[in-house]
Amino acid sequence: MGDKFSRLAALRPARGARDNLEALRAPDGDVDPLARLLGAGIARNHYGEHLSIRNWFATPEFVEPTGKALELLLRKSSGPQVALNPGSNPRKRPASQGEGHVCGAMGDPERWLFLDTETTGLAGGTGTYAFLVGLAWWASGGLQIEQLFLRDFSEEHSLLQQLAERIAERPVLVTFNGKTFDWPLLENRFTMTRAIQAPKLAAHFDLLHPARALWKLRLGSVRLMDLEREVLGAERLGLHRFGDVASALIPQYYFDYLRGGSPDPLAGVVKHNQMDLRGLAALLGKICSLLDEQGSLEEEDPLDLFGLSRFLERRGEPERAQAACSQALRVGLPGEFRPQARRELALLAKRKGDWERAAEIWHELAGDSKGGMEACEQLAIYYERRRKDFDRALEFTQLALMKLERQGWVSRDPLWHARRMRHHEKLMCRVERLRHRINGSKSAPLLEKAAANAGAR
Amino acid sequence: MASNAYSLARARQSSTLARVNQVLDGFASRDRDGEILTAVRHFPAREAQWAEFPEWVRADLRAAYNAKGIQRLYSHQAAAAQDVHAGKNVVIVTPTASGKTLCYNLPVLNEILENDDARALYLFPTKALAQDQLAELHDLNTRLANRVGVFTYDGDTPSDARKAIREKSHIVLTNPDMLHTGILPHHTRWTRVFENLRYIVIDELHTYRGVFGSHLCNVLRRLRRIARFYGSKPQFICCSATIANPGELASRLIEGEVEVLSGNGAPAAEKTFVFYNPPVMNRALGIRRSYINEGSRVAQEFLKHDLQTMVFANSRLHTELILTYLRQANPQQPGRPETIRGYRGGYLPNERREIERGLREGRIRGVVTTSAMELGIDVGSLDTVVMTGYPGTIAATWQRAGRAGRRSGSSCAVLVASSAPLDQFIVRHPDYFFGNSPEHAFIQPDNLEILVNHLKCAAFELPIGPREKFGGVDVQDLCSRLAEAGYLHRAGDNYHWTHEAYPADTISLRSVTSDNFVIIDITGAPQVIGEVDFPSALTTVHEKAIYLHGGQQYHVEHLDFKERKAYVKQVNVDYYTDAIRYTQVRALEVAATERLPRGGGDQGPRGLGLCHWRSHGDVLVRSQVVGFKKIKFFTNENIGAGQLELPENEMHTTSYWITLERALLESLPYTISERQSAMLGMLFAFASVATLLLMCDGRDLGAAIGERPPAPGAEGEEFSPVRLEDAVAAGAKEFFEPNLYLYDAYPGGIGFSEPLFRAHELLLAKTRELIQACPCEAGCPSCVGPAGDLAPKAKEAALAILDRLVSVEAGS
Repeated sequence: MGDKFSRLAALRPARGARDNLEALRAPDGDVDPLARLLGAGIARNHYGEHLSIRNWFATPEFVEPTGKALELLLRKSSGPQVALNPGSNPRKRPASQGEGHVCGAMGDPERWLFLDTETTGLAGGTGTYAFLVGLAWWASGGLQIEQLFLRDFSEEHSLLQQLAERIAERPVLVTFNGKTFDWPLLENRFTMTRAIQAPKLAAHFDLLHPARALWKLRLGSVRLMDLEREVLGAERLGLHRFGDVASALIPQYYFDYLRGGSPDPLAGVVKHNQMDLRGLAALLGKICSLLDEQGSLEEEDPLDLFGLSRFLERRGEPERAQAACSQALRVGLPGEFRPQARRELALLAKRKGDWERAAEIWHELAGDSKGGMEACEQLAIYYERRRKDFDRALEFTQLALMKLERQGWVSRDPLWHARRMRHHEKLMCRVERLRHRINGSKSAPLLEKAAANAGAR
Repeated sequence: MASNAYSLARARQSSTLARVNQVLDGFASRDRDGEILTAVRHFPAREAQWAEFPEWVRADLRAAYNAKGIQRLYSHQAAAAQDVHAGKNVVIVTPTASGKTLCYNLPVLNEILENDDARALYLFPTKALAQDQLAELHDLNTRLANRVGVFTYDGDTPSDARKAIREKSHIVLTNPDMLHTGILPHHTRWTRVFENLRYIVIDELHTYRGVFGSHLCNVLRRLRRIARFYGSKPQFICCSATIANPGELASRLIEGEVEVLSGNGAPAAEKTFVFYNPPVMNRALGIRRSYINEGSRVAQEFLKHDLQTMVFANSRLHTELILTYLRQANPQQPGRPETIRGYRGGYLPNERREIERGLREGRIRGVVTTSAMELGIDVGSLDTVVMTGYPGTIAATWQRAGRAGRRSGSSCAVLVASSAPLDQFIVRHPDYFFGNSPEHAFIQPDNLEILVNHLKCAAFELPIGPREKFGGVDVQDLCSRLAEAGYLHRAGDNYHWTHEAYPADTISLRSVTSDNFVIIDITGAPQVIGEVDFPSALTTVHEKAIYLHGGQQYHVEHLDFKERKAYVKQVNVDYYTDAIRYTQVRALEVAATERLPRGGGDQGPRGLGLCHWRSHGDVLVRSQVVGFKKIKFFTNENIGAGQLELPENEMHTTSYWITLERALLESLPYTISERQSAMLGMLFAFASVATLLLMCDGRDLGAAIGERPPAPGAEGEEFSPVRLEDAVAAGAKEFFEPNLYLYDAYPGGIGFSEPLFRAHELLLAKTRELIQACPCEAGCPSCVGPAGDLAPKAKEAALAILDRLVSVEAGS
């Protein structure tokens, strides 16, 4: 804790809100009403000019994430470790998690750059431009925002040049869906210049995927705006979306302005982008505190806890996943999610080698309408392998078979039917094997008798 | 059983030639009047002409080819490789099975092995062809220690593999559609390829004609533009089947100079080509035996003599019919695989591969296919080919015939004619077909609609510069208009794309408008059964129409014009419907016109001033489906009619037309209605012959008749636009001086009019030949149209008109 404060203290005096940034030329109000409207200055480099809008905000406050949280964010999701297909082996953990090791710029929040773009369309491809590139970084305990704006497409070279410089200073990108949208689009733009190299990133944290894992269950959608309101406490942060522009209209506002229409809506677009950047910074703090080992989970919503447990599980943290899952059940997970959470717990216990605990949960679940079949199958495995109680194992296999058959033909998907057929076959195999083992474990004459029986039939 | 096996073995022993001759003798014995086998031509075997591998070919590549059993090259392969190596754009014109892929693979692979950065793009018109080539290249590549990255990149490529393909491929095999929507608009992801693009291979060049070719030309403009941006200037290697103007087509498509290589050093087996005209059943009505049945019978004769046979049909429905017939005649042996198979567009790729293999290995004895087999899929050699119906062009006919006798000692191709005018013309004029005059292929890349669409795509890909031309067209004016429409925006000197949409998605390369009607069967649970394009939708799926699909009749219950949907129900009735279309053509601007005979008709050959005009230019075509007739099957009785209220369709296009002067018409010793009928009949035949000369689909060309504006005096003057009274409907009032129009059936035109204008004399002569040679009495579907629709002396009168036109020509 002390360390954190000392860092903060170190940050504050060293970086004024504006230091280290080139001076901007004040716009000539008569010639450039847009710059005045947006509160922008004119940035210049050897490629030409573009607008730059700079603001410092006290919120969200700087939060120093722990190394563990960052490492988890960087770690590749290995997909659900808990097998969705009952009976199949849980996937192996990712062999190397070395990439998750936090080093260099990654661990240094001063070198992070929050990025969010506003573009002329969502289609992608070479004909989509980023006309507003919003950047933000921690400064003086708050957030420094700089937004680069194209007054016209001819200013793109100059904007990209400055963007490249900013990224060189802070090569760790933090975005929301930036891995699939913003960054590839900007890379395209750099390539199109044939002059300015796309800068190399030291790391890229895309918060969309963790956010989806953590809050999709509760919120249904994970738009940044919803997260601000429901998770981040927009009020407290001073994020007001009142009168916010609709994202879908943004390209048209820009086109209208280009064709000599009113620039007024663009002020709203700039504001919108600022809000997104601040929300993004706050979101990073929130996610990191949830992922932090020391973080307290007491006040979290049970659904969020369940989401967290699944996230942890996928990123190879079964212990903590189990803790979060138990906590979710304890705090009061809504009924429809309880069997699912218990199933996860059972699978986690099984993976840990805690067969008894797992079996206990499977017994509870065996009567469940949805998960019952899997539970029975798991119990069959348990009795066969752990307890060598083949009779009970057979009993549960047959129960599972019955449940499978009772499922009926609910789907029109041919793949679903193929899977069901395979599953059925597998259970039949198990039945066969168990019968064989039951007979084998008894006396040899019995075996002969069985053979004779089979022959008679 | 034993004797059967014995006779089969004996049959195998006798040569292919003997067995082919046995079958042909059988046909000949039935053809006493010589009306059935209208032509039997023998083509002697030709020796291979060899050449050594050029000395610049690397030892490892030569070894790879040697390992495949290729020790020497055919002379044309060596010549082509040499020209490519010398850096020339080339078009290689050879028949199927002459080893054309080596012509491009050899120099391309050699370059890649020399220079690991070099990249090549192969374009094939279909995905199946790309797959076929992929297999061939893989085979070579394994002999080259897999040093060359070869991948297909098309709609079937899984998205997670795409990135690796972009990075690793030396050779990308794709199709024009994927290039258009998937590659060019994302060129920044293909930086490595575009920076090092050395070769573009365009296989099956002859398929890129008409609309498709016009689109491809523009796609290539975009491709060259992007290559220029990344600093590369690729060289083009094209391969084409035999057409009249491969060099012209290639150089128009790539907009550069092209070396034409038309020599062929590949050996050819002895071949017999037979024209088979089904016997006449009713001479008065000109009705012949069904060519489908006759074609099946011919194929069955070949199969009976253990000759491996491929049957081509012109539609999917016909493939199914013939397949059924042949399977009945050759029932599957228990426990043996089916020896007669179908092969067409709808089959799954795995099934196709299996059939191709079966054909190569000889397990499959007969295959019934559509044009799918016309292109270069490798199925090995077949003994005989039967074409049911003329494939539409001379070039395609040779392509199909080329499927027989790739390697074997002797082969036979049979063309079974339908009663369509084109088929009848061909089988009755074998010299026309064998006289080595294949069709021309035309494109019109500067068709405004096509050009503007691709200009949008181009602007999306890279801003358009101030002095930039698009394939030689000055587009600044178009850009400023697109800017006004909100698609582009001028910033500095450049035009940038300013629209949220992704333009390539809305543009289909295979037609001008991508507006299709979906056909939904609502007999049971609604189910989509097919699609029709916009122009044919109005005539085939209007309300109350009987729509035929897969051999089943459907009644159109409702046509949702706005949503582009037609709802149909299965029915079983004894009639079909024929839409009544009303077409008006108005000349807007005359590009060229000429009064014939030259020098004026006042002192013409017969001193009667019998003159006519030929012209071409821009026209406005207005058409509307106003009703329909119900026509009984077999008897063709008209058993009812209905009115329809469908929107009028208007289109600007180009047209060629003939104007008949009053004096010429009045010199005809026929009644008014006979003259009218004659003109309609002549137009019917005229349109058929024009499609023959143009190498186009019958649907690409529209025909209409209308009044010439009443100001015939001024020579060479422009026609002033006049509203025409109209109509093709028979029995309309007499035309004073009619115009006979043949127009491009696509908005903006696709370049048929000017060539038709130039071919005017040939067109008239061939039309006269067609009508004259037809044995029917007073018109039939094979010449001037069904007799029942025309006045009694229509055929005679049509010939009289043509006599005057042609003799005037001859006299000039």
